Amino acid sequence: MRYNETTRSGGALWWFFQRLSGLYLAIVLFTHVLVLHVLMKDELAYGSIADRVATPLWKTINISFLVVALMHGLYGLWIVLGDYIHRQWMRILIWCAIAVIGLVFTIYGALTMILFQYGG
Amino acid sequence: MAMITFRINRYNPDDERRGHYVQEYQLDVEKGTTLLDALNEIKWKQDGTLTFRRSCRSGICGSCAMTINGVNNLACETQVLGLGNSTVTVEPMRGYPVIKDLVVSLDPLVRGILAVKPYMITHSPPPSDQERLQSPEEREKIDGLYECILCGSCTSSCPSFWADKEYIGPHAFLKAYRFIADSRDEGSREHLEALDDRHGLWRCHTIFNCVEACPKDLNPTKAISELKKELVRRKLG
Ligand code: HEM
Ligand code: SF4
Ligand code: FES
Repeated sequence: MRYNETTRSGGALWWFFQRLSGLYLAIVLFTHVLVLHVLMKDELAYGSIADRVATPLWKTINISFLVVALMHGLYGLWIVLGDYIHRQWMRILIWCAIAVIGLVFTIYGALTMILFQYGG
Repeated sequence: MAMITFRINRYNPDDERRGHYVQEYQLDVEKGTTLLDALNEIKWKQDGTLTFRRSCRSGICGSCAMTINGVNNLACETQVLGLGNSTVTVEPMRGYPVIKDLVVSLDPLVRGILAVKPYMITHSPPPSDQERLQSPEEREKIDGLYECILCGSCTSSCPSFWADKEYIGPHAFLKAYRFIADSRDEGSREHLEALDDRHGLWRCHTIFNCVEACPKDLNPTKAISELKKELVRRKLG
């Protein structure tokens, strides 16, 4: 029999994560549109945006957005590819590639935001 | 009475060179004729080589599931004139290997169903009167689950199954949930064991094809959602 514990997918927690992160993304996306396109009184210019992005609160929001969006999007990609790719070595290769892409973009994006400074 | 053209997908394993082809038959059909009646009529009077599965001819055994005008259904529960077309296209159910004409191999169906241990599992001894009782309310919980006749229409219509022939399949998930939801069953862990697998529950993307395909109007997608929540609950708590 093929179906047994040796091929455990760990899918349960990822499935739950995909739903929670989807919810989080919807909330952050809504906040983004609200703050930038509805409530924003200043002119939509570099200065007014940079002022806000440089604050610790927005750095935290943006980094969490980055991490959650990357994990959600890349794991989503893995779900789609996983339907069609069945050879074990290909699965390992692609999983590693996705993990590396995720890590590189997380570090690159997080550094950009953490180091960002503007005005006073 | 109406003259109906039946376009039937045919395949003879002894004639590999010809491969799959479509053959047309004409038949005068009267009100009340099911597709199974029509196929029998064709087989008995026009072409004895036409091959299809059937047994109960009353929607109970699940043998006669096939793809009718692009939709999976039971031939014996399909009124030919009710289809509303002068041409009726009949194909073997998609996704399964074709053995001959409209007969498909149900090995994938069987493999999936066996994986979920499709029988009542108990650990406690039966009560002294030998009968495990169930209240009407408990019995109601398996409505919409126990009626499955294992025709295979749902799994044949599922894109996840098309992409992964080892996918356990909606028919088996519905069956697993039928026992998990049964108050007399004590083997939830055993039924769930195979589901947390690469070929298991997480391959379901809530596409709902299985719900549309089921000739018994059952809802495998809902059963799958309940199973997913149950597995997460077990993982977290
Ligand atoms: C409004 C925000 C979002 C919500 C509510 C949301 C929700 C979801 C949910 C619930 C799933 C799981 C589907 C399944 O299990 O079959 C999913 C999958 C997925 N998500 Fe999102 N998501 C959102 C934003 C995004 C974004 C921004 C991306 C791209 C970066 C993305 C990419 C994906 C991909 C590729 C999948 C896999 C597709 C699949 O499973 O069929 N999502 N999303
Ligand atoms: S759930 Fe419906 S379509 Fe699927 S095997 Fe059972 S009766 Fe057939
Ligand atoms: S012949 Fe039994 S279900 Fe159609």
